[in-house]
Amino acid sequence: MRVLAVVPAYNEEECLADTIRNLVATCPTVDYVVINDGSADKTWEIVEREGMNGVCLPVNTGLTSAFRTGMKYALRNGYDAVVQFDADGQHDPRFIATMEEEMASSNADIVIASRFLDGTVKPSGARGAGSRLISWLIKATTGTTITDPTSGMRMYNRSMIEMFAKGFDVAPEPDTVALACRKGRRVVEVQVVMHERQGGESYLKLSSVIRYMSRTCLSILLFQWFR
Amino acid sequence: MPIQQRLLLIIGAVFVFFFVTNKIKKAKILMGDAIFWVVLSAILVLVGVFPELIMVISAKLGFMSPSNFVFLVVVALLLVKSFTSSAQISLLTHKVEELAQEIALYEAKNAEKDRK
Repeated sequence: MRVLAVVPAYNEEECLADTIRNLVATCPTVDYVVINDGSADKTWEIVEREGMNGVCLPVNTGLTSAFRTGMKYALRNGYDAVVQFDADGQHDPRFIATMEEEMASSNADIVIASRFLDGTVKPSGARGAGSRLISWLIKATTGTTITDPTSGMRMYNRSMIEMFAKGFDVAPEPDTVALACRKGRRVVEVQVVMHERQGGESYLKLSSVIRYMSRTCLSILLFQWFR
Repeated sequence: MPIQQRLLLIIGAVFVFFFVTNKIKKAKILMGDAIFWVVLSAILVLVGVFPELIMVISAKLGFMSPSNFVFLVVVALLLVKSFTSSAQISLLTHKVEELAQEIALYEAKNAEKDRK
């Protein structure tokens, strides 16, 4: 199975180099592509200096568009699976192999790296509450239990790659997971450990959390019935 | 409808008409998109000059006054226009993103060719 790690990077100069070094050292068989999403800092200079495989968007277009660029790259270069991988060092590349095995053995369309599959209790506070709400919504609308819907580390198979590359408004977010469940795709989870972000700023700033939650919840509750 | 209101309507509509045609002249709006505003202002002029039809319809529908009816119709039209504009912006956003993605992938491919 040819696996591509798609690494969207928006202003990730602090830890991109370490993340990619770690990825290459841990998973020598996995290819990667950094998608520089019109960063204002030195992210692209680092990609060029380190000789990384990268693609540079001329303007900032957002995580969804950056990820879709990676999906087009994967589709055009004939990859069998794509793993969505954060540039900030949160995701541990050791688990890519675990996800790959799970995808092969269970014939899954999406494999989610879950922090809570083994019964680990979700944190209290806004983050945990948001995750619980989305889990509940997915369970209620599709009947599928997803313990960690907001995990940013997901592996997608060929048919999902095509859906991302060619679709309209397909975001690498929980609502796409819910849509896949409803369309009868196979979504499974594997247990992983995640790290604290090593630096940089999240796409999900506090100011955009409300926007994110309302879009995600509405999309799961309402819009997916019309898609 | 009182004559003052009719005059206001006509003056406003004529103003809109010249505003829009001026924008076309200065190449600030596509003619296709300007049609809506030109037609709307033309209809408002007609309403101001011949208010009888509006008065009959609004009375039939039970409005207190014809101007209420005119307000309602204009608000409804603007809501529709606002939504279609929103949808148009969505589509444009999607297209810009697609273009940015294609540029990025094209350049990466060229860079790879140069290296080989």
